[in-house]
Amino acid sequence: MGQLTQFAINGLMSGAIYALIAVGIVSVYKATKVVNFAHGYLIMFGAYFYYTFAVIIPGQEWAPSWLASWEPVWLVEMKEGLPMFSPMGAVLDWVQNVPRIIFGIIGALIANAIVGRIIERTLMRPLMGQSIFAMIMVTVGLISIMSGAASIIWTADADFVPHIAPNAPVRFELFGSTIFLFGADLVNMLIALIIFGGIVLMVRYTKSGVAIRATAEDQSTAYSMGISVPKVFSRAWVLASTTGAIAGAILATRNGISPSLGLFGFSVLAIVLMGGLDSYIGVFLAAMAVGVMEAMTQWQLGGDWAEIVPYVAVLAVLLIRPHGLFGSKEVERI
Amino acid sequence: MINGNLKATYAADERVLNNSYKQAFVYGTMLALAFFAAFANEYMILIACKMGILLIAVVGVNILTGYTGLVSLGHGAFVALGAYTVTMLDNGLTGIIPNQFMFFVVVPIAIAVTALIGVLVGLPSLRVKGLYLAVATLAANFIVIFLIEQDAFAPWTGGVVGIDTPDANLLGWVLDTNREMFILISVVAFTSLLAAQNLIRTRVGRAFIAIRDRDYSAEILGISLLRYKLTSFALSAAYCGLAGAMFAFFYSRILPEQFELDLSLELVAALIVGGMGRTMGPVFGVMVIVMMPEVIKVFAAYFTGGDAASARYISPLQEIAFGLLLVFFLLKEPLGINHITDRILRAANRWPFARG
Amino acid sequence: MLKIEDLHLSFGGIKALQGISFEAKPGEITGVIGPNGAGKTSLFNAISGFYKPDRGKVYFEGRDITDLSPDKRAELGLARTFQNIALFRGMTVLDNIKLGGHTRLKTNVWQALRYFGKAQKEELELRRDIEERVIDFLEIDHIRKYPITMLPYGLQKRVELGRALAMQPKVLMLDEPVAGMNREETADMARFILDVQEQFGTTILLVEHDMHMVMDICSHIVVLNFGQQIASGTPAEVSGNEDVIEAYLGAAA
Repeated sequence: MGQLTQFAINGLMSGAIYALIAVGIVSVYKATKVVNFAHGYLIMFGAYFYYTFAVIIPGQEWAPSWLASWEPVWLVEMKEGLPMFSPMGAVLDWVQNVPRIIFGIIGALIANAIVGRIIERTLMRPLMGQSIFAMIMVTVGLISIMSGAASIIWTADADFVPHIAPNAPVRFELFGSTIFLFGADLVNMLIALIIFGGIVLMVRYTKSGVAIRATAEDQSTAYSMGISVPKVFSRAWVLASTTGAIAGAILATRNGISPSLGLFGFSVLAIVLMGGLDSYIGVFLAAMAVGVMEAMTQWQLGGDWAEIVPYVAVLAVLLIRPHGLFGSKEVERI
Repeated sequence: MINGNLKATYAADERVLNNSYKQAFVYGTMLALAFFAAFANEYMILIACKMGILLIAVVGVNILTGYTGLVSLGHGAFVALGAYTVTMLDNGLTGIIPNQFMFFVVVPIAIAVTALIGVLVGLPSLRVKGLYLAVATLAANFIVIFLIEQDAFAPWTGGVVGIDTPDANLLGWVLDTNREMFILISVVAFTSLLAAQNLIRTRVGRAFIAIRDRDYSAEILGISLLRYKLTSFALSAAYCGLAGAMFAFFYSRILPEQFELDLSLELVAALIVGGMGRTMGPVFGVMVIVMMPEVIKVFAAYFTGGDAASARYISPLQEIAFGLLLVFFLLKEPLGINHITDRILRAANRWPFARG
Repeated sequence: MLKIEDLHLSFGGIKALQGISFEAKPGEITGVIGPNGAGKTSLFNAISGFYKPDRGKVYFEGRDITDLSPDKRAELGLARTFQNIALFRGMTVLDNIKLGGHTRLKTNVWQALRYFGKAQKEELELRRDIEERVIDFLEIDHIRKYPITMLPYGLQKRVELGRALAMQPKVLMLDEPVAGMNREETADMARFILDVQEQFGTTILLVEHDMHMVMDICSHIVVLNFGQQIASGTPAEVSGNEDVIEAYLGAAA
């Protein structure tokens, strides 16, 4: 029982990250009807940007020393005499890193937003009104372009990036068993959930959210109603690339950085289809379910079986419910 | 005004090579291939064999994606199934079936197995269209490669480190050089192409195209979507299985990673670049997709003088070029190279009258 | 020949058809008319098998076909055209019409891959049949090699009729065959429809807005309004019916 709860909670934590990645795919789909096969690679770029701004740049000679490691007098004093690996020590380590974490995240957000914007303007915009197949295949071409570009720009061998939150171990009782977590994972989950919830609320209640929904419903009608569809397109891409930057930063702290981060996009694509593509709620539930199933598989069958869980799950779901768990079935007019 | 187009019988009008340009092109190509087999150097033979193997698979993808309109991003898995089935059967049947007949036993079985699994993978296609299918096939690709890599199956598949493959043995003729394999591959590829062309000019192929263009309209003409979508999946998988068999005979060792997503994307990309839903599309596409990395390698060596430090850029550059090529064709020439050749051919047909 | 019995169909809360019953008699032209949104196309889709009715039956030559899929109904000899032309746009006129012969051909995948032999023989027979019975009949021999996209609207309609004729159907359903046509094209199409009835003895069921044409060529007319059958009878009976006049012209004060 204790282990079950522990693995379930681990699953929920990775499920939240999946949801955060998925929100980018769903938003772009809602606005543009394009399923972005390259979203994972946008996330990989986010991770590398975070690495660039939080590790490479602070490490340069010309960068101010407080950026690499902030060491005010009070902090140094507090650290003295602390035993190794104490929770307090982890928090203080984090405080030292705060400047470069902030710099890293802001840098990643801006840089990834620019990348998303460029992709939308140069590749997606010219295809407006073309067949969905062409648009999807362009994102497939984008996979190769982005993964090749990343290996040219960043020569990085696997390297550590600072955790976004203090990585102190957390221990607590739940259902009579002791659960053991890392603080950073917990905060990552919260960040993911807050961003996901915020975007759902934005799409539901704000003016630009209404514009996105109207465009999703019918592009030409939305256009003729005075909604600037191209603007909606580029907003959706910026939304996807900025959430992707956060997701990338989080993934970089969890899994280290390498071009293979892009592969996460495919598992999340499977999750998105399971949930139903245009349903935020469905996708959220699917992300959580896959997160938990993966954790359970890892527990019972070992780590490598976990990697095909999303794919098996999506095939099973599609056979039973072709439009996903919560997807809307389009009624065809003949 | 189209010149040389007078037909006196329906039979003459229904021929594939229905004008002298097409005849000259095809017979000329056959002659050129024969010369190539005799005189080309080892490197050129190697490249040509790669093209031939890929061509067989792309013709299969063309049946599914180009003609039936069902998008698959997982056909690399079928190539893997073909290659592994041939290898595993050959190992398992050694001693039971005489070596000189092995080819004629294992290749048909490999084709049948992949066709069968193609039907399984195609099952979602009955209920979901477009991108759902793309993701379903992508998922199937990941699962197949994952299973091949598993330690539990390693005694048969070799696992992550791969497995040695047999040489083709045609009634005692052991094809242990690339040049001999080139002869086999080009004959198989040519026959595959011809069979695909036959398919689409008859009832079955027309039904595929009808499903692609307008599925409900196909239904009211009496075309069962269930049956033809699965047939299309089975056929395209079978072609990929055949390509996989050739792959296994050609290379001395196969590894699971050779059949991952990259291969599936290469198949679709070759089709898009060449021209979807056209007989010659796969031919043009495969040429470009196989040549491009070679050209980049040569250029890179030329500009850098071949120093080791810049060598690490070659593979990412090839990757980028592949992506750019795909994107370029989708944006600028979505009907592929075949559309360019069409225009040239049309001008030739009308010569010396107005170009159009 | 084709008999509809108490057909009900709804989408969610919208009742598209409520108790439609009529019979298309062998060798006759039956017309279905009604204002926009009356349920005419829904009726056609239910007859050809795209929509499953909530209640009621469809009989074809006395056989209950309510549960058959569209392709099975086509095999029995039910052909149709669509309101907004449903030709295969990637193909030539000839290939489109050849597809009409699909159910009569027997070539399987193996024979198709080989071509020479049975497939070739069958293809050539089909070609002759189409040329002589359809292309010549509809006077479209000059465009047989043209891609569909290059044809004007009126000709596309004619090709779609040709594709249906290639099926050698027993019942032919035409969904607004002259919609969007000018007077001359309408007259041409009406003549072709009458010729089909005369030469091949096909039973025809047609939905149409053009009242003149319906009154001229149909021997029996069914009138729908808001999913309900408000009248049926000969053209003369229907045109004198109070309900029909009201449905078309609004309540006459």
